[in-house]
Parts: sequence; structure tokens; C-alpha cells
Amino acid sequence: MSTTAADTGAARSVDAVKTYGSGEAAINALAGVTVTFPKGRFTAIMGPSGSGKSTLMQCVAGLDRLTSGSAYIGETDISGLDKTELTLLRRDRLGFIFQQYNLVSSLTARENIVLPLTLAGEEPEPKWFDEVVATVGLGNRLDNLPSQLSGGQQQRVAVARALVPRPEIVFADEPTGALDSRTGIEILTFMRRAVDEVGQTIVMVTHDPHAASYADNVLFLADGQIIDEMPEPTTDKVLDRMKRFDA
Amino acid sequence: MLKLAWRGVRHNRGRYIATLIAILTGVAFFTATGFVSDRVIDTLEGDATREYGAVDLAVIVDDTDEQASGATVSTGHAEQARIAGPVADRILAVDEVEAGAGILTGRVAFLAADGSTFGDSATGRLWVEDDELNPISLSEGRAPAAAGEIAVDTGLADGEDLTVGQTVTVLSLAGQAEATIVGITEFGNSDALDQGGTVSIPAATAFDWLSNGQVEYESLYLRGPGDQAALAAAVEPLVPDGFRAQTGDDFLADRREETGSIGRVLKNALQAFSILALLVGAFVIYNTFSVIVAQRLREIAVLSAIGATPKQIRRSLRWEGVVVGLLGSLLGVVTGIGLAFLVMVVLEAVGVALPGGGIAVRPATVVSGILIGTIITVASVMIPARRASRTEPIEALRDAAVESTRPSRGRIIASVALLVLGVLGLLFGGNAFVVGMGAFLLFVGVIVAGPLIAIGGTRLMRPLMSRFGLEGRLAVDNTARNPKRTATTANALLIGVFLVTLVTVAGTSAKDFAVGEIKKLESADYLIQSDGGSLDDAFVSDLESVDGVQQVSSFRQESVTIDGTASLLSTVDVAAVQEIADIDVTEGSFDDLRPGTIAVTEDAGRALGDTVTVANNTGRSERLTVVAIVKDSIDSILVGSIVGVEDFDTLVGDTAPTVAFIDVESGGQSDTTDAIEEKTSLRPDITLTEGNALGRLVGQIFDFVINAVNGLLMMSVIIALIGIVNTLSLSILERRKELGLLRVVGMTDRKVQRMVRLESVLIAGLGTVTGLIAGTFVGWALIRTIDRLSEASIGISIPIGQLALILVAGVVLGLLAALIPARRSTRLEVLDAIKAT
Repeated sequence: MSTTAADTGAARSVDAVKTYGSGEAAINALAGVTVTFPKGRFTAIMGPSGSGKSTLMQCVAGLDRLTSGSAYIGETDISGLDKTELTLLRRDRLGFIFQQYNLVSSLTARENIVLPLTLAGEEPEPKWFDEVVATVGLGNRLDNLPSQLSGGQQQRVAVARALVPRPEIVFADEPTGALDSRTGIEILTFMRRAVDEVGQTIVMVTHDPHAASYADNVLFLADGQIIDEMPEPTTDKVLDRMKRFDA
Repeated sequence: MLKLAWRGVRHNRGRYIATLIAILTGVAFFTATGFVSDRVIDTLEGDATREYGAVDLAVIVDDTDEQASGATVSTGHAEQARIAGPVADRILAVDEVEAGAGILTGRVAFLAADGSTFGDSATGRLWVEDDELNPISLSEGRAPAAAGEIAVDTGLADGEDLTVGQTVTVLSLAGQAEATIVGITEFGNSDALDQGGTVSIPAATAFDWLSNGQVEYESLYLRGPGDQAALAAAVEPLVPDGFRAQTGDDFLADRREETGSIGRVLKNALQAFSILALLVGAFVIYNTFSVIVAQRLREIAVLSAIGATPKQIRRSLRWEGVVVGLLGSLLGVVTGIGLAFLVMVVLEAVGVALPGGGIAVRPATVVSGILIGTIITVASVMIPARRASRTEPIEALRDAAVESTRPSRGRIIASVALLVLGVLGLLFGGNAFVVGMGAFLLFVGVIVAGPLIAIGGTRLMRPLMSRFGLEGRLAVDNTARNPKRTATTANALLIGVFLVTLVTVAGTSAKDFAVGEIKKLESADYLIQSDGGSLDDAFVSDLESVDGVQQVSSFRQESVTIDGTASLLSTVDVAAVQEIADIDVTEGSFDDLRPGTIAVTEDAGRALGDTVTVANNTGRSERLTVVAIVKDSIDSILVGSIVGVEDFDTLVGDTAPTVAFIDVESGGQSDTTDAIEEKTSLRPDITLTEGNALGRLVGQIFDFVINAVNGLLMMSVIIALIGIVNTLSLSILERRKELGLLRVVGMTDRKVQRMVRLESVLIAGLGTVTGLIAGTFVGWALIRTIDRLSEASIGISIPIGQLALILVAGVVLGLLAALIPARRSTRLEVLDAIKAT
């Protein structure tokens, strides 16, 4: 449904259905979503609570499984992968930023950043590592434990952790949800720069119109379906569109 | 991943403390027992080396022939084979023999000026002239050489205040003899070679004192200048019947094995209990890791989301187990060394000196302690690690909730099946193996059913606990919220309680049975016998005046032969003796005892109407007709065959009574015993035997075993206690927010603490009651099985008092375990508690 419709997107879903519960109590979190996330672009997914926006991202990112339909990372159909294959795919090809930072509390900032590479038994490229760390501004806090860092600093570590392995796609779930607005803007700026400067593909779930305005394209979800999209969004345009949901 | 594991341990230090303590305690027990018993084994074996090290050839009693040794046992001390003096002289004259030592030992004692004896358990030993073959050495004075000289060991000298130059009266086979102490001996680092002390006697008097004047030896130790085999070949032809020659090396190896075996049995038994304690520790470890995994679910989910494979997660947690296990085990070994020292100090303080009096830190013990501790830890981590590896990454995005579980259908089926099979096996098993399996299955069933029991137990307790108000209800709910965790915690305690109860119930039943059976054989309380003197009327009435003594029945007795077989003959007032002693007939009647008749013992093998020839050792004899057969009992064996006064006078003469039965009031026996002992001790010729000594001894042995086993099982109870502390602490940590909230809305700190205490008592009570019920049932079933399979009729004795004590102890344990967690529950500031994630 993307207008910049190269069908070889970074990731896509075809007739994605996700049902929770069964029988009468069944809830369709995703009611047949077909979408492509283009390479080198910053896509935001918006929608009211319960619209299925987080479920869509989680299923495409291999964190959760679809009830039916399929999801692809590049040309890989992830619906057919087992638990370990999925884990390895996430490790080698994807990056994640969560709302609650989700750092490993016993490891230092530096160790958290390189953790995906450590898990794969690889070493980070020193130049790229320094560049990312410098960009997110963590220079002198690298040897601190997460508990010694502020929320904003922890999220910078999380962003660095997502970017350092140069993943095909970074998935971000409400990355600014727990941050004050100034820190939130900084984080979003880094993400934007990653897209502009090195062609990073980013998919971000948010309910914040200002955050969505940093994306190239915004998808709107409601009741498990994509109901609209907005290229080159601004805060006001997104806000207007959101208001129409309530009407 | 090792780094992640190491960091995980360091970061969760607080949570791992209980686990560390559990491992540490178990490993400390394990290694301490090893250190102490290794030292005991070393010392005993070292003693053997010191005693026999110089022996090149030993001529010893040939006990390889089964029948020969069997005969020795049945005749007891009676006829021990000896090497006659001339034979020994011929052996010593062999060219290859450089020196030899004849070994001769016997009982001796000392008589004090007041007529009492001391050093009663000392062993008299022929002094060995050859320095190399003599295991003992002089620490003071010189070797005894002339008649009337002796040397005593350091222990006797110290204990009885004996000094060189002192004159003492020695009691031996030769009666009383004056002797001068000329030397003090020692055996290596210990005081004496023999358990009760060693009295060294020179050849001049040794044969008189120890062997009725016969020059003979128990064994012969030889030393030669050359090859042991050559020496053996040269001596072999001279070895008398019933003896064999063994080379020094083999002989030493045998002696080391023999003397060390006590220590090895001790070691194995003690270490079995420590391993049990460690297995109980496994429950604690398993629980800790389960809780830690639950609490770190989010972190584990993050790891999974960013690419840690299930295998990597499993491995990481297992490494955490290895780190914690190794650390705990290492600390355990260090603590074990300290504990072993403490044990030695305490034992010495209470006067029980173990051989060696020290500890031996062996690499084997250290390594096996570390291995066992680590392996058990890693094994306990396996299940939680597997569960962790199955964590879905999606959980990272949800709010981590307090772990709560419900028992699965599979568990219900499994526990019912195990319990039913267990009960069936216990009640209807046809042999020991099936019954044992039944007990085992039942036990496993109770463990598996733990969560169900936890749910049922808490449900039962709800009405009672609700009386404590809101905190009571919350305590029940918290306990029931995660029945699996509650059950694991309670199970750790259950194991100990189960075994303690089982041992107590089965042991008490067996004890009562054994003591009862022995009591059936006897009824007199004491027997006194005079050897050489007599029990005159004055002495008898003196005894009767003792408080608690009800009756003293004395009678005349003599050793005679009946149809050529040595036996005891007494003349007794049957009616009077029957009142206090178990004397009865199997056939005939004591009423028919008239001159010319006899009542013979069962083992005489005579029938009513037979005629027997009874002869005194002076040659007088009479032919008597059997009119009664005396039924075997401990008392009747002491009395022997019975004749009337007239026949006794004719056969033996007009002797005074030499034997008496004493009947005392039941209860308060120890005071009476002391008083009787006081009177008899003034008469060296009199020996006092407690009639029920055997029964009492057996009872004491049972009590000792029951108490010892229960004492050792305490190790596992201590670890279970740590487990409760641990579970409560972790669950408080986990519920910080909830507890904070309760305090915000107005629950006072005291009530919060009470809630924690109630939870603790609930868990402890659950484990204790389940263990009590299961233990009592299995104990009962085992006793029943013995009755069923062996036709014995052991009644079940349930020691209600002791079981009640166990229950009370369980509840107290619960309160104790809550001390720290209860305080911790309110330590955090309310606001911090709510904010905590």
C-alpha cells in the first residue's frame, strides 16, 4: 500500500491476521494487513490504543507470530521459521528500541550496546561504534551501569544498541514514550539522521503526532486494518488526521 | 555468555545469598565429616603401622578357616589357641630370625586402699624386649624387668595419679599382687596402645598374671635381616596347628584395613547424611533460581528479542549456576575446615577424644566437596534455565507480573498414581524390595503433589487465618498464589520432617518390641554373686535396708557336673524366688522336689523320670530322678538346675548362699542402683549385674541410634530453614510494590510484618504436617510389613510426645525463618517501594 511501491521492501506483510483468544471472545488484533516497509525510509505506524499497531510491528519483526498470512524480512518468509531461526534472524538482521529501554541491568552501557554482536560472537567496527556513540552523545558514560544513567541516557544506549550492528531494519516501539519532550526530540533526531545519512530503514510505532512527524511516511491503523497513510507528515497534519478518528 | 552469567551473579548478589548459604552449609557438612573421619582413619591406620611396622613375619591364629573361627566364637573366651613356650623357643632359634616378640595380654586392674578398684578396663601386656618390635615406648622411667615391676601408660598415670616409684596392688588371674611402677609408657602420639590403658608386665611375672603360669603366647612377631619370604619359608614348618605365618607386609595391610574400617564406616554414614542435606539444598537452589528467572523474565525476554538463542540463555543461566555453585562450594570447604576444628574442640570439651584429635584436609575430600556442591547446584538450575529459555520475546514488552501458577492436570494424575502405587506397594508388597519401592514412590508422590497439598492446605487454613484479620487473609492468598513455589519451599522442610518422623516411629516401635521381647525373658532387677565369699544374712539385710529395694532372695549355688557336663546347681526357695525372678517349668512341677529328685534345665536334654548323676568337683556324687524341667529364661540360666536342701548338703556341704536376686521398686532405679553399688563395691568378691541390663542396653542403643540419626537429619532441617528465609525474602522483593501500596493505604508496619510471619508459619506448618503424616504412615506401614512378612508381632508405637514436639518445632522454625524477611518487608520507604520496578 506504500506509494513508493518498490515491492522489494525491507519488510512486508501479506494478509496478516492475528487473533487473540478463541470462539466468542476472539479479538482480531490484525484483520488482514498487507503492507510494505520500503528500504531506507522512516515509517511511523499510528493509531489509537487497541488499533493493532504494536501487534503489526511485533509480528513483522519476528517477536510474535501471525495467526494467518505471512510476514517477510527482505525476501525471507519469517512465518516458516522456528524459534531459534527467528532469534538468529533478529540478532543478525534487526535492531530494536523499546519504550522501557530494556537494557540488561548487570552490563555496562558499552556492553549493552555491543550485546547483539557479542551474542553473535562478533566484534563491532570501531569506527562505526565511535561514530554512533558520539552521535547519541554517550562518550563518557560508556562504563556506567544502566541504573547509574538517566532515562534519556538509557534510551540513547538502546538506540546505539539498535544501530551499531547495522541491521537491515530498526523496529522502535514508542521510543519516546517514557521520555520528556526535549530528550524525546534528541532521540528522534538521531533516528532521522540515521535514515538520512546512512540509509537506515526504521519502523516506529507511536501515538505521539510530533514523533510521527519525523517519519517519511505515516500509516494509520484502526481495528486491525490500515485505513490511511500520509507521506511527508507534519505534527499539525497528523494531529488533524488523528482528530478525525474520534469523530 | 560467561561474562553475562558472571555479571548476573554479581548483580543479583542479594538474591543469591540464601543459595550460597544452602550450598555452603551442605558442602561444609560434607567436607567437615570427611576431614574429621580421614584424620580418624589416618590415625588408626598409623597406629597399626606403628604397632606392626617392624614385623617381618607374624605367626598368628589361623582364622582363614571358617569353621575354626566359628568354633572360637561359640565357645567365647573359653579356649583361645596359644603358642606354647617351647614351640616359640624353637621358632626364635631359627637362623633367619633376628629377634622376636611373643604377645600375651590379659585383663588386669588395680585395687585401691579402700577396697575399690580402678583401671578396671586396662590390658596387661607382656613387655616386649626388642625395641623395634615393641610398639610402645617409655616416656619416663625404665622398662619393667624384675618380678614386681610394671610400667603403666601415660593415660592411666595421668588419670589415676600414678607416678614412677609408686607401689600399687594389681588384680589379675593370680589374685592380688604388690607391684612398683618403674616406667610410664606411650604409644606414638597417643597415651596407650589399648583402649582402656596398658599395663606392661615383665616376663618374670607376666605368665603368672596373664596366663595362669603357662608360658604361652597369643601370637609371635618376628624380625629378620633379609627377605620376608625367605623368613616365612624358614619358619613355616615350625608353625603349630591352628596358626599361620603371614609376611609382615600382608599382615600390616590387613591390620591397617581392619583398624581403619571403623573410621571408614563412620565417614560413609556421616557423608550420606551430608549428601542428603545437599539434596535438600537442591530444593532451595531450585527455588531461588526459579524466582530469579521469574523476576528477570523481562531481561531474559529482551535478550531473546535482540538475538540470544534459547541455547545461549540456557547456557548463561547454567553458568550462573556454576559460578554460584563453585563459589558456595569453595566457601563450604573453608567453612568445613572451621567446622571440623569446632567439632574436635567441642568433642574434646565434653571428653570424647576421637583418635588422632585433629583433622586431615585431603585434596580428595576438597575436590569431591566442590564437585558435589557444584553439580547439585547446576542440576537444580536446569529446570528454571529451560523455562527461561522458552520465554517469548514478546514478554519484554508486557509488564512483568508476579509469577503465579496453577498445577497442571498432568501433575494431578502423576501424584495420584505415585501415591496409590506407593500405598499399594507398602501395604501389599511381597518382599522388601517392593515395599521399599512403595515407600520411595509414596515419598516422591508427596513431593510431586506438593503444589496440590499447598492449595488444599491453604484452603483449610483460610478460616483460621482470617481470624488474624486482613493480614491473615492476605498471607493465605500469597501462599496460595504460587503453590509451586510454596510447595518447593515446604518440601525442603518436609524431607527432613518425613525422615525424622519415620525414624522416630519405626525406631520407637522396633525398640519397644525388642526391649519387650527381652523383658519377657527375665524379671529380676539385679543379680549379685560372690566369688569366694558369701552372702551372709547381715549383708542381705543390709541390702534390704536400701531405699527402694523390696526383696533380696539369696540362695546357695555350686558348679557341678550332671552326667559329666559342667553345670550350675542351686537350692532355692522356689516360691520366694518365683516372686521376683522368672523361674518356671516346662514339664513336671517344683512341688515334686523331694530328696532324691532334681529339676534340670532344658539344655540338659533330659525327660521326666530320667535318672542323672550329679557330681561335685570333690568327687561326691548322687543319682537323682528328674521331676521337673526348668524353662529357659535369663534368670533360670543363672540359677541352673535345682535340688532340695538335703541333696545339696549331701553333695556340696553346708555352704553359705553365694547368689541373690534383688527386686527393686519400679521407677527411680538409678538412685537405688547407686545405693546398691555403694554397698557391693565394699566387697571386692561381689559382682553386681543388672537383671534387665540387656534390655536396658538394647533400649539405650536404639535410643542412641534414633537420636543420632535424627541429629544428623537436623543438617537438612537447617538448610530447609534457610530455604524458607530465602523464599520469603525473594517474594517480599518481588511484591515490594504491592507491600508499598498496602502501607500507603494504611496497613501499619506491624501488620505487614505479621503477614510475613503468618506466611512463614503457614509454609513451615505445611511442610511439617505433611512430613509428619507421611512419615508416620510409612513408619506404620514398614512395621506392619515386618509383621506381615516375618510373623513377628511388633506393635506400632507412635511416640505422640515426640511427634508433637516436631510439630511445635516446625512452627517455631517458621517464626524464626520470618525474622529477617519480616523486618525487611517494611524497611523500604513507602514511596520508594511503590516506585520500584
